[in-house]
Amino acid sequence: MSQPNRPNRDDLADRLMDQALGELLGGETPPDLSQRILVAVEEDVSPSQPRKEHVMSKSKRIFRPLVLVVAVCLVVGVTIALLLPTLQSNRGEWARNMVEPSAPPPSASAPMEFNSSPSRSEEIEDEEVLAGRRYREVPGTKTEAAVEKKAPDRLAPRPSEPSPPTATPDLMSQEGPVAMDPKDLVSALPETPLPGEESLSLPTEKRVVHGGKHRQEGEVARKQLSDSSVPGESELGRGPGRGGDRYDRVVDNAFKTVKDHPLSTFSIDVDTAAYANVRRFLLQEGRLPPPDAVRIEELINYFDYDYAGPDDDVPFAAHIEAAGCPWQPEHRLVRIGLKGKEVASEERPASNLVFLLDVSGSMNSPDKLPLLKQGMKMLAEQVREQDRVAIVVYAGSEGLVLPSTSGENRQAILDALDRLEAGGSTNGGAGIELAYRTARENFIEGGVNRVLLCTDGDFNVGTTSQGDLIRMVEEKATSGVFLSVLGFGRGNLNDAMMESISNKGNGNYAYIDGPTEAQKVLVDQIGGTLVTIAKDVKIQVEFNPAQVSAYRLIGYENRILAAEDFNDDKKDAGEIGAGHTVTALYEVVPAGVKIDTPSVDPLKYQPTAEPSEPSEQSDEMLTLKLRYKQPDADHSQLLEFPLVDGGKSFSAAGTDVQFAAAVASFGMLLRDSPHRGDATYGAVLEIAESAVGADPHGYRAEFLQMVRRAKALAGQ
Amino acid sequence: MTATTVDRRAEMTALVQAHQAGVWRYLRFLGCDRAEADDLTQETFLVVLRDGFEARSPAQTAAYLRTVARNRLLMARRKRGNRPAEVELAAAEAYWAKAVGNKGLDDYLVALADCLQVAVTARVRKALELQYRDRASREQIAAALEMAAEGVKTLLRRARDVLRDCVERKIRR
Repeated sequence: MSQPNRPNRDDLADRLMDQALGELLGGETPPDLSQRILVAVEEDVSPSQPRKEHVMSKSKRIFRPLVLVVAVCLVVGVTIALLLPTLQSNRGEWARNMVEPSAPPPSASAPMEFNSSPSRSEEIEDEEVLAGRRYREVPGTKTEAAVEKKAPDRLAPRPSEPSPPTATPDLMSQEGPVAMDPKDLVSALPETPLPGEESLSLPTEKRVVHGGKHRQEGEVARKQLSDSSVPGESELGRGPGRGGDRYDRVVDNAFKTVKDHPLSTFSIDVDTAAYANVRRFLLQEGRLPPPDAVRIEELINYFDYDYAGPDDDVPFAAHIEAAGCPWQPEHRLVRIGLKGKEVASEERPASNLVFLLDVSGSMNSPDKLPLLKQGMKMLAEQVREQDRVAIVVYAGSEGLVLPSTSGENRQAILDALDRLEAGGSTNGGAGIELAYRTARENFIEGGVNRVLLCTDGDFNVGTTSQGDLIRMVEEKATSGVFLSVLGFGRGNLNDAMMESISNKGNGNYAYIDGPTEAQKVLVDQIGGTLVTIAKDVKIQVEFNPAQVSAYRLIGYENRILAAEDFNDDKKDAGEIGAGHTVTALYEVVPAGVKIDTPSVDPLKYQPTAEPSEPSEQSDEMLTLKLRYKQPDADHSQLLEFPLVDGGKSFSAAGTDVQFAAAVASFGMLLRDSPHRGDATYGAVLEIAESAVGADPHGYRAEFLQMVRRAKALAGQ
Repeated sequence: MTATTVDRRAEMTALVQAHQAGVWRYLRFLGCDRAEADDLTQETFLVVLRDGFEARSPAQTAAYLRTVARNRLLMARRKRGNRPAEVELAAAEAYWAKAVGNKGLDDYLVALADCLQVAVTARVRKALELQYRDRASREQIAAALEMAAEGVKTLLRRARDVLRDCVERKIRR
């Protein structure tokens, strides 16, 4: 009999056979971790080892004496800070009781010593000034808060006092202190501030520009934020003029009966910003995103799908597939996939690019201006001799940092980017005016003419109303200049505004949460980002009532159009870039399956129109209609594709359909959607794992990591 | 970027691409779930590359990576407060080295694919597919094959024994 710890040979042989059969028959093949490992090696990030540990161990000998000196200074500083009120009060008494002016106060040297050897509170204040956080708080309260906040590793808490809550312990508490996923430790690395710290990084300079009222509001907001006991609550959006990320409310599309709504019309959307932002919440901050930050179509469209491209003159190909619905077994899932024509790098038309860069004070943060500069340098490295780049910056006022410069002189572009520094308020509107003017002055006929706006979106001087900015961009878009919006940073990210102006400005919107995303958007997918192959792309689906009783479009909530907008060429819609894939999913209720939708009372003043006879003869489930314009055309063209549902089960669907469905389920779970049905994070993981496919860039593997994190955070 | 840096990067890429799947499979064999195998594979390469890995023969490299991976797994288990399982891991390593060797699981899988075609009947193959591909329960397999549920366990055990013998014969050859 074998010992409990020592499996015998048969057990091991069985285990190996089991694993091999699982791989051969069950598709449990090893994932391609190459990209992930190489990125980690570059960054030297270990899933279960703090990033700096290796460096620290090497330099421990050098830093140890320094640490001791700092620790002694801290102890002295804290002691003085605690004694100061008493000393000052004593000094007051000495002043009042002083009989002989020449007699020196016994502690007169104390304040001097305090100034010449700064306490921890002053060091922190200096750091805040350096970081663009130029505000002062009431002396004393700040000191205490700062000592509590900055020195937890030096001042051990009393055993009876629980540690202050942070995102990481929350995560650990889900599975107990020993069950933490090694990956979770990555988010615990000190490379980004904890959510609670973010509350100190409000763009106070901007409030000062607005005058006293806003300054007060800023301080009230800060007070509320610092009072908040929920980590990161500060960033969940507090409306214009207040701190926090700002998101437009998203209400999940409801089921519509085919009898009342036979047509479903919407504009395509190639934005991916929501996915990168959700990833930031989950993997960098270790918390679930706010529901309104989750736009499901942007999650789905983050991934490339293996759709065949067009083989004729049309700019894109369409692919439709129907299968079982994994979260609602009685329903069907219809996937519409578009694939834009690829444009080889050497065939990319000459480009006239204007970088419109926000260098206001709020961009003074490692995840903003430094990342922006890094990203734009990546793009500048892709510029060819026939391309041109101009750089417009804006802060309190706008300025042309680099006039339109040929790609032959790439070094001048890189040098101009190197020189950028952050400071001042944010007059984004003026910057937009100058950038479009510069683009028009250097317009290349038949080329790519595009403004790339890089910002956190917190415009607070000049044109600040979202409506006015949208109108401005809408008007500029008629000039033939396209727009890309790249969002950076957190804490005051105006996602709502950036999404709106990209929608209205013939543009796309991506969120750059790190160098890897910059590489994806600005290097790997540069064709899709810069080269528009069709504009105003609209989708209209007509459902056959003989086959379908109701349907629901998943995502695209802010892209819904009226049925009559489909044929109206004046109505703006989304653009598709070279090589882009666009995916839309419908959850379809087959005819005969009951669905509860709110009823409408019969009309009083006119007879209710009798629905026309369903097309009993047709076995088609739906007809997909597409309208698009060539990038420089004013009139649209129409394409039509019918779909017959072959009754395919979900497990028989293609891996791309399965993966897209897993992403949609994930989005519904994050949004706590009423339509999520049987979806669970476990089910999402199971489906996505089996549908990872080739995944050359590791994006799908990273998605699995996000699902695991969300599962732990949700306590499932 | 200097030529040395480029060479070093190419070397790293080649090492990772050649061995990441093997390390991952080995970790799965040692009992890691998929997520843990992902993480420990990454960690194994980080440790190896951080310590200035020098090129060796593929077999030596595979063996060295397995040792590092096993140690990382032990450390991860200890960190979680689990009882160290050196004995179990040593036994598993010994079996892996004998049955799979330093060439990785690829040869084993090729041999198994052959054996599935020649060493078992269509009915047994169907039972295996139902279990591993469709993740069917014993009752479902029994229903599909029109047999008693208690017979399914024996059928699958025998099938695995037959396949094991077949694979070992092929690999020895």
